[in-house]
Amino acid sequence: MPAIECRDLSKYYGDVRGVEDVSFTVEDGEVFGFLGPNGAGKTTAIRTLLGFLSPTSGGATLLGHDATDPVESRRARERIGYLPGDPGLDRDRTAKAFLDHQAALRGAVSRDELVERFGLDESRRIADLSRGNRQKVALVAAFMHDPDLLLLDEPTSGLDPLLQEEFAGLVRERLDDGASVLLSSHVLGEVAALCDRVGVLREGHLVAVESVSDLRSRGGKRVRVRVAEDVDRTDFEVRGTMNLRVGETVSFTWTGGYDALIDLLGGYTVLDLDVVDAPLEEAFMTFYDGDVPGPTRGGGGGATHDGGGATRDGGGGGHGGDAGRDATAESEGDAR
Amino acid sequence: MSDRRTPWLAIARYDAAGRARGSLVVTGLLSAFLLLFLAFYPSLSTAGIDLDAYVEAFPPAFREAFGIIAISSIEGFLAVEFYQFAWLLLVGLYLAYLAGETVAGDVASGRMDLTLSAPVARRDVVIGRFLGLVPLVALLNLVLPVVAYVGVVAVGETIAVERLVAVHALAVPYHLTCVAVGIAVSTLVSRPGIAQRVALGALFALFMFESVVASTDYATTGDLCPTAHYDPSAVLVLGEYDLAGAAVLLAATTVLVALAVVRFRRADLSG
Repeated sequence: MPAIECRDLSKYYGDVRGVEDVSFTVEDGEVFGFLGPNGAGKTTAIRTLLGFLSPTSGGATLLGHDATDPVESRRARERIGYLPGDPGLDRDRTAKAFLDHQAALRGAVSRDELVERFGLDESRRIADLSRGNRQKVALVAAFMHDPDLLLLDEPTSGLDPLLQEEFAGLVRERLDDGASVLLSSHVLGEVAALCDRVGVLREGHLVAVESVSDLRSRGGKRVRVRVAEDVDRTDFEVRGTMNLRVGETVSFTWTGGYDALIDLLGGYTVLDLDVVDAPLEEAFMTFYDGDVPGPTRGGGGGATHDGGGATRDGGGGGHGGDAGRDATAESEGDAR
Repeated sequence: MSDRRTPWLAIARYDAAGRARGSLVVTGLLSAFLLLFLAFYPSLSTAGIDLDAYVEAFPPAFREAFGIIAISSIEGFLAVEFYQFAWLLLVGLYLAYLAGETVAGDVASGRMDLTLSAPVARRDVVIGRFLGLVPLVALLNLVLPVVAYVGVVAVGETIAVERLVAVHALAVPYHLTCVAVGIAVSTLVSRPGIAQRVALGALFALFMFESVVASTDYATTGDLCPTAHYDPSAVLVLGEYDLAGAAVLLAATTVLVALAVVRFRRADLSG
């Protein structure tokens, strides 16, 4: 049974699109990432899954329970932890009062351990806590009942790098205990570090679902080469090279095979050669720009998890034409 | 941790605890207000003015609006100067104002997301937030009769304890209705500040409406107003206890909370 199965989920705020026809599956034990800029619909999708918003059409199951049915959703929420990036906390209550309350609602087997681990001073008023410490309060609330499914919406936005690392460690421990995770972020590094697969949301559409390892392999290699001869630029303007720069050294991103690369360099005397994985950002730019030979269609082989329900909903420029870059209203703050 | 089966109780408890200090302050202020008025009474009653004749000269509609039956006795004085004004209007409006913030405020601030990410039904939230204001209603109506009694004795007067108790016992259903009006508005209007003002305004408009129609042929339409079913003057001066009115108010409270539940169940948490 998948942890999340989302089928053609659409949510409109009146005429404004939040998300449209979003389908994906988070397998049991998987970490699935939602990647996209602010306003892409990440928060809308997650809040619809949790039943805070009723979908305009489509549906979803969480841990096998129908997310659109209030009773079923409530049953699913017994085993769900939810951590938003900017959690709404009662500023004039102490962290202890808030966590006592949350504990009464959902249980708190791991509360003390988490409070100690994150060095949280429970006796302080939430208004007096720093943004990072406030996020810790919400983090303890989200994790303290040892949930089987974690919905994390930009969870580390208020945390410093050290805490982000600590947080990632906590997520991995929950995974080892069998939990599944849906994590949204606009930071690729965070998603890539934790996730098995990534869904890219753009203007309310899930434009691609990729496994992170796939993405890495398709992201190509960053090649830097120094040769004895003068370089003829056209020699390198072949299929498979991107971001070509010719100077003292020649550098480019290579998306072809190694043999083809060796053939390409065969006509030169190679003095120095450096081939490394291209940063994932480059692979992802294709989704945002839509005009580069991008790995948006076909070929799901090599994925660590093969979520059968994942859509590869139009790739590349497929959705680039509509509405320009205007952010669709997301349910965060300003949409209220 | 014991009430995972009764989330509404946990929500009510948390809410009430958050209001503890404010509730004590309001109770203290109203007690001081009551004692201040009582302190004026001896000088009034010994001034040799026929206050009842003065009041008789008021237009009937005015007397009706402010529930003025008699003012020269301590009961009449308390009814007019304190209960008709502070208890009926001021406390009623304040409760509606507080309740107007509850659900709308939670949704707007994102607190509702954290509450409802736990296994909590929407119904539990509405009922919990309603019950969260009940301790304030109880506190006010338990402390003030004691303060009133002590104050009356202190100025050398006597008052029927039974009537003093009754005027507060019958205030409870009225105050609960005011809370329920606020809760209902809070689920209908998404912006908390607006919800508070709508709740307060609606209750005040109903009070005005009842006052205006009371001396006309349309007096029965005034029965739609909560203030029509709680008459502190009748209780204190005449010893008339409107139990049917209390029942009507309790029924109205139930209906309003039920409406709020129905409304909130369907609502998107996006304000």
